[in-house]
Amino acid sequence: MTNNHNLCRHRRIYVCCLFFLNLSLTLSAQDLLVSGQVTDGQLPISGANVLIKNTNTGVVSDFDGRYTITTKPTDSLQISYLGYTTLTIPIQNRSTINITLQEDATALGEVQINAGYYTTTDREKTGSIVRITAKEIEGQPVNNPLGAMQGYMSGVNIVQNTGVPGGGYDVQIRGQNFINGGTAPLYIIDGVPYGSLSLESADISAGINGADISPLNAINPSNIESIEVLKDADATAIYGARGANGVVLITTKKGKAGTTQVTVNLSSTLGQVSHFLDLLKTPEYLELRREGIINDGRGDRLENPQFNYLYPELKTWSQNRYTDWQKELIGGTAYRNVAQLSVSGGGAQTQFLISGGYQKETTVFPGESNYKKASALSNISHQSTNQRLNITMTANYASEQNQMPRTDLSGVAYNLPPNAPDLYTSEGELNWENNTWDNPLAALEEDYNVRINTLMANVGVAYKLLPKLELKANLGYNTYQLDSYKLLPNTARNPKFGFTPQGYSSITTNNSSRNSWIVEPQLHWKEKWKELDLEVLVGTTFQRQTSDQLVLKGKGFSSNSLIKNIAAANSLEVRAADDSDYNYQAFFGRVNLKFKDKYIINLTGRRDGSSRFGPNRQFGNFGAAGAAWIFSEEAFLKTNKILSYGKIRGSYGTTGSDNIGDYKFLNTYNVTGSNYNGTLVLEPTGIFNPIFGWETNKKMEAAIELGFIKNRILINTAWYQNRSSNQLVGIPLAATTGFGSVTGNFDATVENTGLEIDVNTTNIRSAHFQWKTTFNISVPKNRLLKFPGLETSTFSSDYIIGEPLSIIRLYQSLGVNPQTGIYQFEDYNQDGEITSLDDRNFIEDLAPKFFGGLGNTFTYKNLSLDVFFQFKKQKAFNHLRYASAPGLLNNAPSYFYNRWQKAGDITPLMMATSGGNYSLYPSRFNYSSSNEAFSDASFIRLRNISLKYNLPEGNNKMTISIYLQGQNLWTFTKFDGPDPEQPSHVALPPLRQITLGTQIGF
Amino acid sequence: MKNYISHLILRTRSNFNGVHLIRQFTIFSLILTVVSCSDFVEVDAPKNVLISETVFENASTVESAMANLYYRMREEGMASYGLSAHLGLYADELDYYYSDFDLLSLYTNSLLPENSIVLEYWKNTYSIIYATNDVIEGVTKSTTLTVKEKEEFRGQALFIRGYLHSILVSLYGDIPYIITTDYIENNTTARKPKNNVYQSILADLVLAQSIMTTDDPTGMSVIPNRSAATALMANIHLYLKNWELAENNATELIEAFQLEADLNNVFLKNSKETIWQFKDDLITSRNTYQAKQFIIKAIPGQTYSLSNTMLDAFETDDLRRSSWVGSFTSDDGLTTLFYPYKYKASLIDKESLEFSIVFRLAEQYLIRAEARAHLGNLSGARTDLNIIRNRAGLDVTPAETKNELLNAILQERFVELFTEQGHRWFDLKRTGKDVDILGAIKPNYEPTDALWPIPETELEINPKLRPQNSGY
Repeated sequence: MTNNHNLCRHRRIYVCCLFFLNLSLTLSAQDLLVSGQVTDGQLPISGANVLIKNTNTGVVSDFDGRYTITTKPTDSLQISYLGYTTLTIPIQNRSTINITLQEDATALGEVQINAGYYTTTDREKTGSIVRITAKEIEGQPVNNPLGAMQGYMSGVNIVQNTGVPGGGYDVQIRGQNFINGGTAPLYIIDGVPYGSLSLESADISAGINGADISPLNAINPSNIESIEVLKDADATAIYGARGANGVVLITTKKGKAGTTQVTVNLSSTLGQVSHFLDLLKTPEYLELRREGIINDGRGDRLENPQFNYLYPELKTWSQNRYTDWQKELIGGTAYRNVAQLSVSGGGAQTQFLISGGYQKETTVFPGESNYKKASALSNISHQSTNQRLNITMTANYASEQNQMPRTDLSGVAYNLPPNAPDLYTSEGELNWENNTWDNPLAALEEDYNVRINTLMANVGVAYKLLPKLELKANLGYNTYQLDSYKLLPNTARNPKFGFTPQGYSSITTNNSSRNSWIVEPQLHWKEKWKELDLEVLVGTTFQRQTSDQLVLKGKGFSSNSLIKNIAAANSLEVRAADDSDYNYQAFFGRVNLKFKDKYIINLTGRRDGSSRFGPNRQFGNFGAAGAAWIFSEEAFLKTNKILSYGKIRGSYGTTGSDNIGDYKFLNTYNVTGSNYNGTLVLEPTGIFNPIFGWETNKKMEAAIELGFIKNRILINTAWYQNRSSNQLVGIPLAATTGFGSVTGNFDATVENTGLEIDVNTTNIRSAHFQWKTTFNISVPKNRLLKFPGLETSTFSSDYIIGEPLSIIRLYQSLGVNPQTGIYQFEDYNQDGEITSLDDRNFIEDLAPKFFGGLGNTFTYKNLSLDVFFQFKKQKAFNHLRYASAPGLLNNAPSYFYNRWQKAGDITPLMMATSGGNYSLYPSRFNYSSSNEAFSDASFIRLRNISLKYNLPEGNNKMTISIYLQGQNLWTFTKFDGPDPEQPSHVALPPLRQITLGTQIGF
Repeated sequence: MKNYISHLILRTRSNFNGVHLIRQFTIFSLILTVVSCSDFVEVDAPKNVLISETVFENASTVESAMANLYYRMREEGMASYGLSAHLGLYADELDYYYSDFDLLSLYTNSLLPENSIVLEYWKNTYSIIYATNDVIEGVTKSTTLTVKEKEEFRGQALFIRGYLHSILVSLYGDIPYIITTDYIENNTTARKPKNNVYQSILADLVLAQSIMTTDDPTGMSVIPNRSAATALMANIHLYLKNWELAENNATELIEAFQLEADLNNVFLKNSKETIWQFKDDLITSRNTYQAKQFIIKAIPGQTYSLSNTMLDAFETDDLRRSSWVGSFTSDDGLTTLFYPYKYKASLIDKESLEFSIVFRLAEQYLIRAEARAHLGNLSGARTDLNIIRNRAGLDVTPAETKNELLNAILQERFVELFTEQGHRWFDLKRTGKDVDILGAIKPNYEPTDALWPIPETELEINPKLRPQNSGY
């Protein structure tokens, strides 16, 4: 509680400061307003940076290349644009300055790339960093920044877990490094680490979002300036023990000096399920069902009314009804309305940005479910007049509310018998059809509601002790608060159970929070001696993160009208009462040497300490060396007409992972929240192992970067090899030890290698028309290199040396035996029986073989069109994983009608069974785990299409643009499930969305 | 420390205007090195966790560690509801008419070593045995508990260790007997012959009896005391055919407890014949698990009901048929299913009058009757048997000879102890009648079905558990 009070107070103080600073912003008399146009001699250049030299103050040229900036008459302007030579022009009291930039092959050094503790450029970077910027993000109508990254970044594989709003994503950067599965990268937002683990409880939302709520939902994508992903050792070793799975740096937008800019953005999105399954219609379904019952030897039950209750779909429900349950339950349209207002501006010393956004999103389910988010970003920067002191302060606040049914209706929509009864009676009540079915819409009465409040605040202070020596400190504070509940009223259950509010109705609540602060003082030193440039950085980190979770279940209410008040419950159960502290401390440093602007060496290192490890094992050292040679600068190539840029770079180093949860080294008893006979229950937590330490990850990379024809074609090719060892795994134990596993470092090595190619081309650049293409492809390969004693361990059925960690072992199907009508399998060990371990020798891989994206941008006068395709080659479980025989109660794809009926039939599917015949079990169960249940799920998806038209500017300086965006509009795939990207049969697939919006600036 | 830092900060600030950069640099380096001590990366244990040693420092936290054992035995079913239903299906008490794979394979006696029920009992039971051994070791090492406290906790723990192993040996045959928490040793432990396991159980029980008292501080028999150990001892001696010892232990209990005259009171929580029972916590949507497990309120509902064999086993006029068997008829009146109705309150609407009984006196009468018949004390056997029969409203047994009596006792155990902890199947097995009786009505039942398979995954992890039980 005290913390919260403090937090509120701080927030208030902060807001006051912000307003105060805002009001006091006025143009001083000596300021000069300079305007003009940036061109390449013929065409306007939009997006050029116009900067007041030696400051962070600047503006960006607009669509027509025009800019306006407030400066002092004595300042100089520095104008830069990717692919052009940077120009410095003294103002000398002029108010109009038109600028002509020269195309330059060597200008890759202009755009600053955030590398975390320092910045670099494409030209000079020695490490592997990919980025997307506001331009790519703004074209995509997504709720979570991770959604905008999908397909755009080589080496980054992102899968959206559900189409239900507010859900989570799986992120994997360069493959799975660790056997224990954790692939989450480290997220740093404006310099502050941000916890990405969901705080939702499975007790509450397992059914609707898998208890996976991405904390990154709190970041409004339209507030993001850029996202950089650090991949290799050179880029990540400075993050030490947390860098093994890569680092994602998110930088929010900053205010820029100039006239005050107001931007209003309004948009509406329609979303629908992009693909429905072709399921059996009523006559075929009933025929198979009946046939299955007869095949099971229970045919007499069909005529015997004693068994009516077991088979309502055949006996009491209408035999002619047909409902397309997919249309009924997940066939609706989801609406999203977004409104965004941002104001930015400032003078030479102080700049600000305030941005607020609101969105509301509904679902494709029936009912009133919706997700709402309000977010605010404020940012203020100040430089002292002598340019020595620089302060930046950013606060990002988001409030989310998500109200959903507690169960995703997709699973029911695929499974419900096609002749299942009406959802509602003629009186508009839920129809239970004489208590013969579980009405799926009852789920709508089982509310799931979550509120999330997030505040991210940080202050960066930099002071130049000397022109070349800068003292910096980065201070940050994050708080994430999640409160949710789930209601289970008795009225949502079939009346046949006779549940009452007193006996059944319940509420489960989750109150969780995570708070963290970080302090990072640093010293930066830059020196230049003739042809040698030196940059040195040293710093230290103190970080503390506390999290707690309280999950309560209140059961039994005198009336359902009291169900939201947990105090009114007859009984209260504590499902979880957890808290944990995580302290982290480090020293880090970097030395960067550049000789003659073409030979670069970058050394980084970190000494890390983490409270997750036992006494005397908390510290570990990590480091990397990177080098680059810009060979196109050499005399023999400098004048080459075709090759305009060439660089070879490489890096080697170590990072680590302490991603194993808190307190694992203690031998403890847990309070479980249960009691026996009034005595609190204390349970042994597990077998403890005080001697475990970091997992280590050695990364190696070699890359070549080439630019042709004045860099109109840029090709980056990188090869990497990451080896992770000292794996922290739960080493499996026999049940006779009392536990399934003990956590320890295990001498196994996992290798990820891969090839990544990024291509950017400017195909056409003429007076009014521009065509640019971007393409990336990643070909990852994962394999288990070393695993002592694998054959005798329990991992023996999961892994094979030399194969990926993501393999699965399957039976090999030999199809349906035409004589017996059941599936047959390859008997690998030839013992005459199909047995689990020995005969599952058909090896498949769940990981993608390659993936990437292809984007084209066309600009014609005021019109621009972006078309982005995402592609992935992979395999996934198909429908046969969930049901492999016709005739079962759940509905099935229409091809299930093609089943075996009599000796001699050659069919893809076995004989119908209702599930009641034991002898048919092994056949169909094994089939669900056979190669037939795992098929191609590759896809090419029109991930994003964005059409934008800028209305010609009127006299009032107002800019208006109208845009039309589409997400997931078209997919090419052979996969027979709902969606190849997320092949689950129970989660709503990512939606197809169309957005219409307008942006007004003045 | 605090003063020192603020001093540093003040100095640093005052130097911003100055030019003594080297000094600033030094001070900065000092902040870096002095402030960052490794203490920062040591954190206190979270609030919801106790370090193991502290648990055994005082009696109330040891009681909590013991509460965990009772809680888990009740929740995980090996001592309460679970085996009653699962073994009811495996034997001839229950019929199954639906399509759940695990239940169907129990009902058709076609268990696979991968069966999840087979694995769950094995895993959960050994997991509780670990917790039990941890209590035994912790209590023994403790320097702060009194001798009396130590004896109380050790006695209960030894009894539980014996009891849990007795379930495992009945299901799986030869099994490891686990008496330590050392995971390296337990990870590669071997199976002991069934008879050795029973000797270890008896050794634990003898020790438990010697340090436990017959006190029942709760007045509800919800914590096992010396009588519970004696009840288990009688049962095990019966299984081992140590008739005299079985008789002696049963007599001790028959003298200490008394039967409820009214069948409707037998399963109430304050029943006088209860020797050990689990208390239910009234938190979940049920009273006893048994009531929830068996009482049919809808169909298909539970998907199992009392078999015809079971219903036919009751003699006419047997009051147990009316008092302990319930029925449910479908809305259309076409289907009627029968279910065990020993426990009557299933939903939590009203406060339960029942807990989950593990040991009750009627079983001891039948143990003694059987022991006496074997010892040649036929009249004594007949008397004990008739006490149980009379309570159920039945006449005295017509059985005369030893064999007739033994058959009558087996039949009486069937109708008295049906769907209680798998008594029926264990009785058929130990009397060697399982193949004849079950084989006649269950076509798949084979002699090797007398033992469940060892879970496949366990054989993989610990090859010393091989070979698999025959028939699997």
